[in-house]
Amino acid sequence: MKRFLTTLAAGALMASTGVYAAAPKAVSLDQLLDMVRKAQSAESEVNKKREAEFRQARDQQAALLKSVQGDLNALENEGDRLKAQFEANEKELAVLEEQKNARVGNLGEMFGVVRERAGNAAASIGRSYVSAQFPGREKFLEGMAQSKALPKLDDLKQLWLELTQEMTQQGKVVRFNAPVVLGNGSTEEREVVRVGAFNLISNGEYLIYSPETKQITELARQPAGRFLDSVAPFIKTTSGFTDLYVDPSRGPLLTVVVQEPTFKERLDQGGTVGWVIMVILALGTLLIIYRIIALTLVGSKIMAQVKNPTPGNNPLGRIMAVYAANKSADVENLELKLDEAIMKEVPKLEAGIGIIKVFAALAPLLGLLGTVTGMIDVFQKITMFGAGDPKLMAGGISTALVTTVQGIVTAIPFVFMHAVLSSKSKALVQVLEEQSVGLIAQHNEK
Amino acid sequence: MYALTGLWEKVLRFTETGGPVIWVIAVVLFLMWTMIIERWVYLQFIYPKEARQLIAQWHARQDTTSWHAHRIRDAWLSQASVRLNARMTLIKTLVAICPLIGLLGTVYGMIGVFEALAQQGSGNPRLMAGGIFRATMPTMAGMVAAISGLFVVSYIDGMARNRADQLADSMPHH
Repeated sequence: MKRFLTTLAAGALMASTGVYAAAPKAVSLDQLLDMVRKAQSAESEVNKKREAEFRQARDQQAALLKSVQGDLNALENEGDRLKAQFEANEKELAVLEEQKNARVGNLGEMFGVVRERAGNAAASIGRSYVSAQFPGREKFLEGMAQSKALPKLDDLKQLWLELTQEMTQQGKVVRFNAPVVLGNGSTEEREVVRVGAFNLISNGEYLIYSPETKQITELARQPAGRFLDSVAPFIKTTSGFTDLYVDPSRGPLLTVVVQEPTFKERLDQGGTVGWVIMVILALGTLLIIYRIIALTLVGSKIMAQVKNPTPGNNPLGRIMAVYAANKSADVENLELKLDEAIMKEVPKLEAGIGIIKVFAALAPLLGLLGTVTGMIDVFQKITMFGAGDPKLMAGGISTALVTTVQGIVTAIPFVFMHAVLSSKSKALVQVLEEQSVGLIAQHNEK
Repeated sequence: MYALTGLWEKVLRFTETGGPVIWVIAVVLFLMWTMIIERWVYLQFIYPKEARQLIAQWHARQDTTSWHAHRIRDAWLSQASVRLNARMTLIKTLVAICPLIGLLGTVYGMIGVFEALAQQGSGNPRLMAGGIFRATMPTMAGMVAAISGLFVVSYIDGMARNRADQLADSMPHH
């Protein structure tokens, strides 16, 4: 602190010596007086000069004020005049507006219609398949529909042209090259055939034009074969007539048709239970075919044997052979031997029929099982997602119904074929059991 | 003639609303009734002649008591009963199948209903109406077909059994 004060004092001292050093030094008192007097007169001279300057400036400002006031007055006058003119113009404008409205009259209505038409045309042309070939046509129409200005004659002509083009193009089958977005996301330049405003086809498959992205897209799934088969011949045809399935709704119907499950997908909907039923169907069908062939062959042999007394190699023939071998035995013994021979033949004729009956009973039961598992699936979905969206439940319901169909479709022919086979075998067994001995006796009597 | 074409029109409309299963039921019904009529004609007109012939043949025999004669009589009776009961199992099966086919049609129709539901949502019940028609019509048709056959089949069955018993009674051992 002390040190700081000494530094400060030293600084102040040095500063005061500096100031005095700058002024001219007075050597004597007279000289000093003279200097003071000189300085005074110089000062008063400067003051006088400044006074004069101020006075001059005051006069100048006063003159300036005067001229500005004059300007203001002139402008105010101008303002009044313009206001009056504005009012007059306004009045004239109102009159003219009225005049215009009267003159526009029906035309205003017509322009409203034109705008509405242009809007509708923009929407329908934007969606149209024709735009796949001529893109960007709807822009002009959209601009026309939204603009507040009255449409010009050229615009009206253009609208008419666009509508006519759409109309004529709807009736044409045209080939053109266009980029097609494929299923894997890549784009390829292809020759596309446009059938009016209804369908786009290329390379033997249906394409779809999506108005949102303005792209021609390959359908992820193609419709069923009978629809698709007509496409390739249609593309090849250059003249004359060929059949083609056309989507009159211009797209939506095609997308719905594509969703329709194929036969294989229908089977897949049945799930594991469905495939078990299909296995039973296959096995049962093979068994039935085998049994029909076997029974028909054996049956024809037995019927031939009925008329022929010499025993051959067939069930009835073998029984006859047993009789021939035991002819000399007594009646009781002979009857036992014959019964034994018959017992040996019967199971062969009835083989497989029991299994077919079991299959026929099993198939609807399995169908029911599939139904129940499908319903369990449905209820699980309901507990998870609620019952709001029926589409979520559709999977389980298809399983339920498809397995039932499979079960019944399997059971009906099996029940029928079981009846046919069992009546066939029963008739043969009856021939063996009840008639064979009688036939032998008849042959013997002759 | 006009009434006939009107009737045919009605049948067509019925099958159209009922779906393809109706045709299957129609075929089964046709087969069933053809066989039933054939059976009735046989039992009523053809069989009595055969029976008379058989009885005459039996009475003409000298030997009706030996083991051979017993066996031959059994064989004749069995052959007659085979002819009497021919195709009866098939007819009964067809009667039993009819409601099953109806059920198939019902499930088929329900698939249509749920397909419409899955694609369009439950907003429009009219879309489901087609499937519901296809679901209910075949069941009704199947039931009607089965009931129409049931009574006649049991009648013919009883008739055949009676005829067989009568034949056995008219071939005495003497």
